[in-house]
Amino acid sequence: MTVSILGVATTQFGELWDTSPRALVKGVVDEALIDSRLQLKNIDALYVGNMLSGILGGQENLGAFFASALGLVCPAFKVEGACASGGLAFYNGALGVRSGEFTNVLVLGVEKMTDHKPEEVALGLMGAGSDEERLAGATFPGLYALMAQAHMREFKTTEEEMSAVAVKNHYHASLNGKAHFRNPITLKQALTSPMIASPLKLFDCSPVSDGAAAVVISSDASRVKKPVVIKGAGVASDSLGLAQRNTLTSLQAAVDAAQKAYKQAQVAPCDIDVAEVHDCFTIAEIMAMEDLGFLAKGEAGQAIFAGKTTLGKSQKLVVNTSGGLKACGHPVGATGVKQIAEVVTQLRGKSEKKQVAGAKIGLTHNVGGTGAVAVVHIFARE
Amino acid sequence: MQSPVKQWRNQKYSRQLLGKNGRIVSFSKIYIPPAGYEDQAPYYIAVIDMGTHRVMGQLVDEYESAVKIGARVQAVIRRVRFVREDDVIPYGIKFKVTSDR
Repeated sequence: MTVSILGVATTQFGELWDTSPRALVKGVVDEALIDSRLQLKNIDALYVGNMLSGILGGQENLGAFFASALGLVCPAFKVEGACASGGLAFYNGALGVRSGEFTNVLVLGVEKMTDHKPEEVALGLMGAGSDEERLAGATFPGLYALMAQAHMREFKTTEEEMSAVAVKNHYHASLNGKAHFRNPITLKQALTSPMIASPLKLFDCSPVSDGAAAVVISSDASRVKKPVVIKGAGVASDSLGLAQRNTLTSLQAAVDAAQKAYKQAQVAPCDIDVAEVHDCFTIAEIMAMEDLGFLAKGEAGQAIFAGKTTLGKSQKLVVNTSGGLKACGHPVGATGVKQIAEVVTQLRGKSEKKQVAGAKIGLTHNVGGTGAVAVVHIFARE
Repeated sequence: MQSPVKQWRNQKYSRQLLGKNGRIVSFSKIYIPPAGYEDQAPYYIAVIDMGTHRVMGQLVDEYESAVKIGARVQAVIRRVRFVREDDVIPYGIKFKVTSDR
């Protein structure tokens, strides 16, 4: 059964101190429903992607929480997989449609992070790691720094190449009115920013953001001309702790999820025109480019530095047109859904200033923890 | 506050590692710590190869110049993090650099 994406919407990402999670969600769902030409009463199920509402806000039972806030009376689920919560919620919503149980499904990703102080957010995010990592005093920048250190040693990846990821993504975000950071930055600014977890500096890290995104999917696309459809999907998992992996320079879960998605979609990495990849840290985008098969192992740093994935410079594939997690912002539960909204908008040709000309096939790559879970989707316009 | 029962249950893992030697596979210096570790920052964390398996741990008593990939470390007992006066003090394994070669 073909699953079509009927409607997408994303809120402003950023420090939204005066907006509650309920208000964020109401606004974004209204927008997605208008885009889908459906009404609330047509929705058969709600899937919510979120990670931190319990540990930071003390609020669980999010399926019922948002269903009642929206006035929806239907089955409602919360899906959690750390920073991949949004992508996993979408995956499960699509399964609900493919099974025939639901016709129209609303997938929501939401996170409210800036209400809390940084140490609490850092500790909350470490809920995605292992006990051993928490006892070691590790943070997520620290865990990705361990991967960066290994990648630099094994493939001679440089700090300049990592900074180039941030420069590219800030440039893309400068074209995205909804991005958390819309300011272009220079390589020097990124390189001289304060150290967070060596060798990762402030501009190597995605920010703590608030935001929400919503997508309406359906098995009935009879009212839409040429809808964007899901061509392939893959989910894979790996050891929870980073130390227990065979390698520190690749995320096996991402490799496995991508292979499943490519096989199902019957496309190859070279067919992809536009991709949103999980650049929670700059080294993560470099590894993603290699894990997804876009570039050979050890070559992504140089390619990104040379502008080969930058809008206006790339010959084919453009990566993270939204600004990525780095500059569009990273409200963790919302990120995976926002990636899908971005790629769908690109494939519809409605991305305005950041439009990749002639984009036909798009990919999203959403990772939870340090690669303990990964979800990859491939989309095309019928 | 962490459950004292959980701490008690996890002590057997500390005993298995205590005194054992390993080598640093990768390391990072943490400048921005999570809650409970503020008084220790900046500090190093490392992936450590224990021969049979790898673990993640915090480095202690380290000389800056000795922290490098391949350096030898030994598992020692230390207070894990800062706790309030009425909490059980959590002890656990950290790693001391014993040789930079």
